[in-house]
Amino acid sequence: MRTWNLSTAAHRLAAAFISISVATATRGGGTESAPQPQAVAAVELEAQLAKTPAVYLVVDTVRRVIDIRARALNLDRLALKGIEVVVYQPFFSSRQVPMPELPAIWTIENGPGDTDRETIAPKELRPYSSGDEEEEAPATPVPTPVGPTPTPTPVPEPPVRYRAHLDNGWDLWVVDALPARDWPSRFAEAVRDGWRRLHGEEVRFRPALALAMEGEDARRLHHLMRTGTKILVVATP
Amino acid sequence: MSAELPPPAEVVQEPPRSSRWVPVLLVVLLTLLLLAAGTTLVLARFGEVAVAVPLRPLPATDGGDPVALEQRAAAARHALEQWRPRGVYIVVDTYRNRLRLYRNGELLRTASCSTGTGIVLRDPRNGRQWVFDTPLGERLVERKVKNPVWAKPDWAFIEEGMLPPTDPNERFDPNSLGDYALYIGDGYIIHGTLFKTLLGRRVTHGCIRLGDEDLEFVYRRTPIGSRVYLY
Repeated sequence: MRTWNLSTAAHRLAAAFISISVATATRGGGTESAPQPQAVAAVELEAQLAKTPAVYLVVDTVRRVIDIRARALNLDRLALKGIEVVVYQPFFSSRQVPMPELPAIWTIENGPGDTDRETIAPKELRPYSSGDEEEEAPATPVPTPVGPTPTPTPVPEPPVRYRAHLDNGWDLWVVDALPARDWPSRFAEAVRDGWRRLHGEEVRFRPALALAMEGEDARRLHHLMRTGTKILVVATP
Repeated sequence: MSAELPPPAEVVQEPPRSSRWVPVLLVVLLTLLLLAAGTTLVLARFGEVAVAVPLRPLPATDGGDPVALEQRAAAARHALEQWRPRGVYIVVDTYRNRLRLYRNGELLRTASCSTGTGIVLRDPRNGRQWVFDTPLGERLVERKVKNPVWAKPDWAFIEEGMLPPTDPNERFDPNSLGDYALYIGDGYIIHGTLFKTLLGRRVTHGCIRLGDEDLEFVYRRTPIGSRVYLY
């Protein structure tokens, strides 16, 4: 698992990174030439995100990392194994692959962090009785449990592969491995899709940005993939 | 008397019945194979397949006047800096269930905590729902209380299969929150727990539970107004 829990040093490093980013944007990548407009635009976009108290993600496609931030404070960092654009094409032909314009802010429209939830509900409610809970509280509260530790409701483990719809018409895939590229796998996929279409299933694929990462990292990112979460995607060297 | 016996009739060995069908079967199999291959090819022709290509982003901006760019960068830097936390702040990792306390960027304490399960509770009477999430994003420590008393909300009874009591006095619980509580808004609290073996797990209804020593440490060093970052 390639994750970093931000210690003091890392926090300072993150602060330095922001300063360096801005400095780079200002000075044009360390040279005295013109400032890089992409870098300036990225910092401006982040300044927009930092105005709100919400957590946002910064996907750095060059360094291949995802930073979890709030108010420009780097809270955590996840490493990416790969970033690819995924489009759907007929098996026997090829079209030009669309590429996103970066830097950009994408917003999750329908996130798995909202939908993959377990619901519990008692079948019926009985009238409240204080005797149901415990003995009458003693005069001096005793800070130890009187009974055995309750068994907590099991919390389902988040998946390692999931997708989110974005407001720009794209999808965001979080995967533990990028889509297979070998000929037999692609052919089998085309046949399966053809079979679905033959049976009248309306299949409408959106282009996607696939982020490949370790399974554990995918799990820990899952709950942040909620509707409304903003993602700043940058490609500044 | 001798008579010549006629020569024995030539025994014609006919092929066994089953072998006659072998060529037919082969033809049928070949036909089926061709049909299957043809169908597969047709299906593949109409199907679409995911094609993954390396990201080659297009620039979203065209550049511009270098002086104007520098001014924009300075303004953006100023905007980012004004939001960065100063002084004491708390960071809570709700996946790993770790709380970290910082002062001016220096890590003061790391503690195991418990956070929300993310489970949804539904009231069987009217379908009302509660989501047991620990909130995400930035919050402020609004107030601090020593020896807090918990006013149990409706869900605390419904989860136990009970109707909420009509007498408000029956909602007060002086034991469950531990010795200290830091209120971070909307009913969410950083507080203690009776069940310390569950620290480090997602077991709460959205609050953040800490062990006794960690809670006291955080309580004494976190002034009201400090920022709390939850992710």
